[in-house]
Order: sequence, then C-alpha cells, then structure tokens
Amino acid sequence: MAGSREQFPQGAAIAGIGCTEFSKASGVTPFKLATRAVKAAIADAGLEISDIDGLCTYGTNDSVSPNLLAQAFGITSLSFYLDQWMGGSVSMSIIGQAALAVSAGVADCVVCYRAINGRSGIRKNASGGPPARVPWDIQFKMPSGYMVPAQEMAMNARAHMLRYGTKHEDFGRIAVLSRTNALDNERAMMKGRPLTLEDYMASEWIAEPFHKLDCCLESDGAVAVVMTSADRASGLPHRPAIVQGAAWGGGINMANNGFSELAQSPARPIAQRLYASAGLRPSNIDFAELYDCFTYPVLSQLEGYGFAKEGGVPDMLKSGAFDRSGGVLPINTHGGLLSEAYIHGLNHVYEAVEQIRGDAGTRQVKKHDIALVTGQLGYVSGYSSAVILRGQ
Amino acid sequence: MISERRIKPLPDEDSRDYWRALAEGRLDIQHCRDCGQRTWPPRPVCSKCFGENLQFNTVSGAGEIYSWIVVYRSTMPHMMPYVPYTLALVRLDEQHDIYIPGRLLGDAVAERGMRVRAVIEKIDDETGDLAWSPLSSANRA
Repeated sequence: MAGSREQFPQGAAIAGIGCTEFSKASGVTPFKLATRAVKAAIADAGLEISDIDGLCTYGTNDSVSPNLLAQAFGITSLSFYLDQWMGGSVSMSIIGQAALAVSAGVADCVVCYRAINGRSGIRKNASGGPPARVPWDIQFKMPSGYMVPAQEMAMNARAHMLRYGTKHEDFGRIAVLSRTNALDNERAMMKGRPLTLEDYMASEWIAEPFHKLDCCLESDGAVAVVMTSADRASGLPHRPAIVQGAAWGGGINMANNGFSELAQSPARPIAQRLYASAGLRPSNIDFAELYDCFTYPVLSQLEGYGFAKEGGVPDMLKSGAFDRSGGVLPINTHGGLLSEAYIHGLNHVYEAVEQIRGDAGTRQVKKHDIALVTGQLGYVSGYSSAVILRGQ
Repeated sequence: MISERRIKPLPDEDSRDYWRALAEGRLDIQHCRDCGQRTWPPRPVCSKCFGENLQFNTVSGAGEIYSWIVVYRSTMPHMMPYVPYTLALVRLDEQHDIYIPGRLLGDAVAERGMRVRAVIEKIDDETGDLAWSPLSSANRA
C-alpha cells in the first residue's frame, strides 16, 4: 500500500520550548548553542535532563549530533534519536517522527533541536566553508552556477509570474507582512526595524525576480522543543500542544521526470496527507507558520495548503487576509525566517507553541488553538514536511 | 570563456558517460532500450520502467526556455565574471519533462518559449559544461 491515509497517532504533545539569542555572530559553538536551547526547553517543560531519553535534529551545514549532546548531558539511556540529513524541507519531519516515537512508547521525552551558526559559521552553499555532504544531484546544476536555493525558488517564482501575472509587489507584500510581525518580537533580529514596499522594491537584486528582501536572514542560534506523551504533558506547567497531524515525504524538483508545471505548489501532496492525518481541513486552521526561506514559497504554500485558489494570493494579501491582527489566517506571526531569524524552520514551532499557549504577548492572535507549521515546501531536495499542532 | 572553476562535476559510474560526452562536445541523454523513456539527470535506472537497460544517445540539443532568472549574486567563483547573467531552465525538445539549466549566451532578453540550442564547452577530458544560445541569433559561444 502506497502510503496510509490513517489518522496520525495523537499521543504526543510539545510541553517545553527553548531558544538562544538569535544573532549574526553567536560567539559560541553550535554545540554550546544546542546545550543552551535544550536546557531552556527542558526547564520550560518543568522536567529534568534525566527525564530525556530521545534527541532529534537535522541539518546540512553546521550541526550537533544527538550522540554528542547525549554525552554532554550524561544521557546513557538514549532510546530514540534522529540525525536527519537535509535542511528546512525536513524540519517538521523530526517533529512528526518524535511524535511517532512518543506515541508508540519508544521514548518518553524527546527533545527536537536545531543549532546553527548559519552566519558566522558555515554559511549555506559553500560561501563560508565546504558543506559536510553534497547532494548528488547538485553536480548537474553547478556547471551553470545553479546552486543556491534562492536561484531555484526564483525560477519557480518566475513560472508563477508567467502563469498568473504575479508581480514583484506581491512578493514584496509578504516581506512587509513578515517584517511588520517582527517589529514587536523580542527574539526577532529585525525587531523595531520597519520595512515599506518602497524599501522592498529598491532593494538590490540577488536572483531576479528575487530582491535581497525576498531572502531570509542568515542567523546564528538554536531552538529546542520537548515532546512527551499527551497524558504526561497535561500535568506539566504549560498548555500542551498536541501533534494532531504530521506528514513528510516527497515533493517535486527539477530533476523529477514526469513533472511539467513549475508554477504548481509542491506543497499540495504533503498538504492533502497532512489534513487527512489530522482529520482537519484548511478552514480549521487558526494560524499558520509557513516556511519562508524566501517570499515566494509563502505564496505557493498558501495555495498548496488550500488557503487560496491558484493565483489568488495577491488579492488576499492586499485585503489583509493574512495579517496578524484582523486577518482570517494570520501567518508568520513572529516575522518568520525572513524577519525573526533563520533557525532552519524550528523557530516556527517555538512561535506556534507560544501562540497556542496564549503567551505571545503583543503578538498574540485571537484564535490560537490550531496551528499549521510547515517545512520547506518541496523544492531543491524534493522533500517536504509539515505538522498541525492543537492546544489541549 | 570558462574561467577559474573551483567546483567541478564529480563523475561516477552513473554519470561518467554524460560528462564525457559533454567533454567531447555532445549532449547525451539516457535512453531506455526497453520503454523508450529518457532520463535526466543520469541515474542507475530508467525513470519510467526502472530497468537498467539504458544507453546514452545524443539529442538535438534544441529546446525552449520555460523559466529563467537573472543571477546578480553568485557563490560560484567560475560564474562570478558573468554576473549579472541569465540562467535559463530549458525544456528539451525530445522530452518535455526534462528541464536543463544553463547560462543564456548573448544579449537576448529571455522569454517563455524562446528557442535555444545547447552550446557545449569542454572543462577537461572527463567533463564539460552546457550553455544555451538563442536559435534565432547569430550569437555563438
């Protein structure tokens, strides 16, 4: 059977969240960043390091393996770990897999974390050092210099512009929305630094149609979340965020024969499986933290996850449909990777959990029971992943 | 026209013949002897029937631009001299679900459907590069 459509086992919940400062130069190793975020998340959950028996992470550039963290913390009874190779595309797959492990009773308390010196350490795509492992299919792109995700996603953005008449300003409105949401976020690298559409249009080209301000930040920092059983979480200090649904798997990319329309959202197949796994529909989602390595992927996900018809996002952006206050679907309430920080997508989970708890302060959205949190939508590697979190 | 190239293709058993063909001035695409499907990039198995009965056949090298970007910032040392340059994603005439990226040569402004042909450049004896040249233009590499 090619893929179950059964409901996701909903026995796991996120009980703790932790992060470091997000910056352009942490001054410490990714290892130390990881220990700080993990300790913060465990403390937030009201648990002890000795409670932890699972560790999950992912990464392409600098990272810290679960075994190193287990050694550092004296965890000798590690019963579940995951060191997933790849980037933002798999960011939610570790959440889904940790939830499976907890629901199955393989582990009691799993910490999912990502620690990265993405600016001061190994920057993406070899501009600051060699990547640990080069994807096989890169060799067929690099002769043309078709190397960085900005280029590949801009290529898809162009296809969308050609098909639906999408304009630079439409991407710009996503950049402005994200920045607006970061203004009052203490964690955000772009806190208190407003952005106008005019600023966006004036920003330099990186890979036209992408301006610099279509691209997310490069950041140092770490995020960790603690997952435990829903039963156990209900006795801990914070409102548990149940993993209601999860899906991860294949998207599409240039190297997939059989694909013919690059304007189509690669998130669609993941979205269908995600909603089925959660027993929910797009209209059930209260707010969404959408993987925003660039602006266009946000637009494509709004289509792919069923919040807009194809080509319909620009008008909805203009009408404020996705604004944090007053929008029908607030998105990227913390400023996202574009304006909070690029912690490879795990900072989206941190924000979603804080919103679900009702602890987001001035950023708090009114309806905050059910959150969609996504990983990269399926470009580049062809992987994608997403989860739906529900307040208990 | 090829400048310093610090990052090179890494031919292996599956891709060696592809890269060598480019070194020798040809665009060769894997062709399945069993089902006729073409597969790119080169893989161990056919992308349709998943068999191993594959051979490399030279294709026309003609196609049309499907999408494009203009690269203003490159992380690739060998491409930096060309910045800004147009990078086109070209659908091959022989099979419309094969998209091959390459620099667009000349001064033409890219557009959807623009007819182009592959221009092959030798990197060394084992590998080569591929760029696209507008068919209507007299521009040559």
